[in-house]
Amino acid sequence: MIDNSEDLRQWRLPRGRHGLPRELVERSQRERLLAAVVRVTVAKGYESATVGDILGEAGVGRESFYELFDDKLDCTLAAHKILVDDLEEQVRAAYATPRPWPARVREALAATLDWFSADPDAARFTLVELSTVGPAFRPIFQAEYARFTRLLEDGIGDGDPNPALKGASGLAVGAMLAKIYEEIVLGRTTELPSLLPNLTYDLLVPFVGEEVAQEEQQRATHSSG
Amino acid sequence: MSVLQPTTAPDVAHHAQRQRIVDAMIESCAEKTYAATTITDIVARARISRTTFYKQFEDKRACFDAAIDYCLEELQRIAAAAHSPSDPAADAARKGATAVVEALAERPGLAQLLTGDAIAVDPMAIERYRKATLPALNALWSEDREVDTHTDPRLAFGQAQVLILNQIAAGEIEGLPELLPEIVYLAVSPYAGHEEALAQSRLVKNAKIGSATGSDR
Repeated sequence: MIDNSEDLRQWRLPRGRHGLPRELVERSQRERLLAAVVRVTVAKGYESATVGDILGEAGVGRESFYELFDDKLDCTLAAHKILVDDLEEQVRAAYATPRPWPARVREALAATLDWFSADPDAARFTLVELSTVGPAFRPIFQAEYARFTRLLEDGIGDGDPNPALKGASGLAVGAMLAKIYEEIVLGRTTELPSLLPNLTYDLLVPFVGEEVAQEEQQRATHSSG
Repeated sequence: MSVLQPTTAPDVAHHAQRQRIVDAMIESCAEKTYAATTITDIVARARISRTTFYKQFEDKRACFDAAIDYCLEELQRIAAAAHSPSDPAADAARKGATAVVEALAERPGLAQLLTGDAIAVDPMAIERYRKATLPALNALWSEDREVDTHTDPRLAFGQAQVLILNQIAAGEIEGLPELLPEIVYLAVSPYAGHEEALAQSRLVKNAKIGSATGSDR
């Protein structure tokens, strides 16, 4: 996780040393290309988007592009990775707050909904467009699903409830994916945070049963209202 | 009726041909994804001419949509056949969900088409699945259930889909029945609540242990 956040900071705040202008230029070019591939893919769809479109959007030359990336897919997956790393960092931080476990789940859920609603283009790129990149989609989907399921499971301490249903963590991550995907496709990305109370309930029930889940749902209603 | 008419009625032949094309589409998508599938692939597999293809379907996408409809109808038929009207609703939901998951495990092409390609081709495909599935599930339960106290059936459906997609992404379609405790839980919990869903989920586990020891009914 520390490695990921380090990458991200470098990407966002290029701090090339003096006397290395080439490195600096490449970093800012890379940054612009990554932002451009998100915008272009969301606007045109992965299949229709061309490297030329990305170059035009980023204001970067073709040669520079191919110095940084193998092809359109490589650039797309690089942008995807940075976004998912950032999402994981936000969720992990929210989940790590020193509170009872159901409240921590609610915080992690709120952070996830906030992340997706804050940037609808990034949201669509990360979750919806990825499925159109072809065979590369499946291993990435699988790895990221496992990554977030593990994140949830690793945060269940000794004193926390044993999930009533064995696969509850996988179901919880599945619920987030399915719901957020649906809202993005229906054009309701910016309204995602309003789903917090109901999603908190639906996510918690398989772990703690209906009563405890309902209490947490009520807290979510108050905290968002 | 004239004796000169062919013994096979034209619409029967027409229908068989259409089904061959749909089958070819399903097979090709399973093998190389929808994006990589060409009309040439389909006509070669179905052993028909290009002209015949275009008599049946306007384009590749129209053929794909027909394949999705066919898969959904198959699964609905399988789910309906898995339980009898005398089954209590929770048992019927468990049996239907079990039958569907087992059918997907046995027919990987169907599973891949529905979870992988359909979503890549049309993100709204999920809405079509819901429309094909949820009314049948809803109908199992009496109308006086307290909807507000339980989880959202639309969400449960999406969760089941993600679980199945993940299993397929891992290349382990034949292992789909391992997900049955969770999927049965999802099929029951929106309607009958957490406790009943857990009970139904345990019945699946017991059935598995039972069949392994040969004591299953």
